[in-house]
Amino acid sequence: MRKLVFGFVFFITLWSCKHGEGEYHGVIEKIEVEGQKYHGSSVSSEPYIEGTRTIEITEGAHTFLIPERKGQIKSYACIDCHSKPLNQMQTEGLQKAHWDIKLDHANENTMNCVTCHNPNNMNNLRSLTENDIDFNNSYNLCAQCHSKQFEDWKGGAHGKRIGGWAPPRASFTCVNCHNPHKPHFESRWPARFNTQKVQERE
Amino acid sequence: MGDKNKKWFSLNLNRKVSNETTCGCGKSSGGCGSHNSNPIPNTDSKIKSIGGERTKDGFEQVFDVKMDRRTAFKKLTASLLIGAGAVSTSCSMLTGDETKEKAQIDWEEQFKGNYKLMTDDEKKGTVDRLMRSYELRTGKKINMSSKNANEDVLFGYAFNISKCQGYMDCVNACVEENNQDRDSQMQYIRIHEMKDGRGLDFGEADDNYYHEVPAEGHFYMGTQCFHCDNPPCVEVCPVQATWREDDGLVVVDYDWCVGCRYCMAACPYDGRRFNWKKPEVPEAEINHNQHYLGNRMRKKGVMEKCTFCVQRSRAGKNPACVEACPTGARIFGNLLDPNSTIRWVLENKKVFRLKEDLGTEPKFWYFMD
Ligand code: SF4
Ligand code: SF4
Repeated sequence: MRKLVFGFVFFITLWSCKHGEGEYHGVIEKIEVEGQKYHGSSVSSEPYIEGTRTIEITEGAHTFLIPERKGQIKSYACIDCHSKPLNQMQTEGLQKAHWDIKLDHANENTMNCVTCHNPNNMNNLRSLTENDIDFNNSYNLCAQCHSKQFEDWKGGAHGKRIGGWAPPRASFTCVNCHNPHKPHFESRWPARFNTQKVQERE
Repeated sequence: MGDKNKKWFSLNLNRKVSNETTCGCGKSSGGCGSHNSNPIPNTDSKIKSIGGERTKDGFEQVFDVKMDRRTAFKKLTASLLIGAGAVSTSCSMLTGDETKEKAQIDWEEQFKGNYKLMTDDEKKGTVDRLMRSYELRTGKKINMSSKNANEDVLFGYAFNISKCQGYMDCVNACVEENNQDRDSQMQYIRIHEMKDGRGLDFGEADDNYYHEVPAEGHFYMGTQCFHCDNPPCVEVCPVQATWREDDGLVVVDYDWCVGCRYCMAACPYDGRRFNWKKPEVPEAEINHNQHYLGNRMRKKGVMEKCTFCVQRSRAGKNPACVEACPTGARIFGNLLDPNSTIRWVLENKKVFRLKEDLGTEPKFWYFMD
């Protein structure tokens, strides 16, 4: 008798265990199993990236494209004006160049212009230990402090893709979304307000 | 259209024969993701995977079903009206070619089958008719695709709760991309403003705030259709007008939906929206890049919802919300590609889904920095 009951319960459990395709226990398992058979898809993001000049970078296990930067900076190369080191160029009383840039990033004890810019060679950025960093790879500068964000960005959890989801991967780099001199996002009003919903709820 | 294999009756009121490509995606070459290597449409050999409707074709689905007298009468009247219209236009000497063509299209559209059961050629046939019909009615051209799911693709989505600032740029982009009714202000996406320290309390959350954001002491969380892998909304549809595609998108055939709203009741995530009136979009704002299962113009009394922008995602683009988000809170991609960014998020961040215990298996994950 007990055997019969057990058998019955077993049968019911089997029968009631209904999943979408019946093959997998949940979508995670499906992804794992079917992902092993993955051999590239025919969809490509390439046509959507074409308009952007990109460079390929490899950081750790990740290789992807980021937008080229130097071509986007209006008055690059900087040494066209900065022909001498910074301390030799300062003249009292004259209108300052870059007067419109106000640094709003960490505090004065932590950062000033030369934390990131190389005063002896304005064409390059420089690390905290005074190594040159190319403007195209400015993310290396940010990564010195924001190491957690850097990890997420490399993997793709922080930041935005250019083009689409399909390979090849092209991602915006830090300075495409954050102004490095004022990196936070401003508060503002939402883009939309649903007046119909207000009426419905009244 | 392979006329010989068509499963519904045609009138052929001086219809011009046009050049056809053999593939339903609208491309003449391969790579459309169609699994059918045989270019000749042969509906009998192709068994589509749908519950009880394995063999019934569109015509039989219309007529060979049990229905009560009222519905039957309604359907008959509608069909008769169209038929009468078609006959009167075809007999009249005064009506022009265009009117006849319109009547012909209306007839074929009325008696076409469920999109899910269509062969690639039938799919192409119906989008061609819909495009032509739009052109005849408005004089404007649209581009409608019937692109099938790509092989080796399963779409997934991740949402970063710590990044979302509540700007609602995604909602705007979605409304524009998907031709949603402006009048009733339909929105697929909702952004819920939640109080810090209260957990995920949707009852207390506000999804229609209007003040400067992000508001002090609040966080923001977006919801939309989660494209469940085991979707209860699909299960309940009495006419199988909604289903899950091979790339994981849960879609609706707006022409097959009878508007019973069972699916809306079955969805545990408030993912579906119903057209209580004829949706209207100003002509200038219509997105002309459309997909049959996506953002084509809907009608009164049918269900619609987020499709992960099927017209964009199947072409390799990100959905409009992902592209519009200024904070990068939205991540989209192919779950089957081990190198995709979405997979990295799932494997390296602490992700969770809503109401996981229901077993609906949504393909929409939340995570925090
Ligand atoms: S979220 Fe709702 S509408 Fe979307 S697939 Fe799941 S149950 Fe269906
Ligand atoms: S509203 Fe349409 S899609 Fe939803 S269950 Fe009814 S017929 Fe199916």
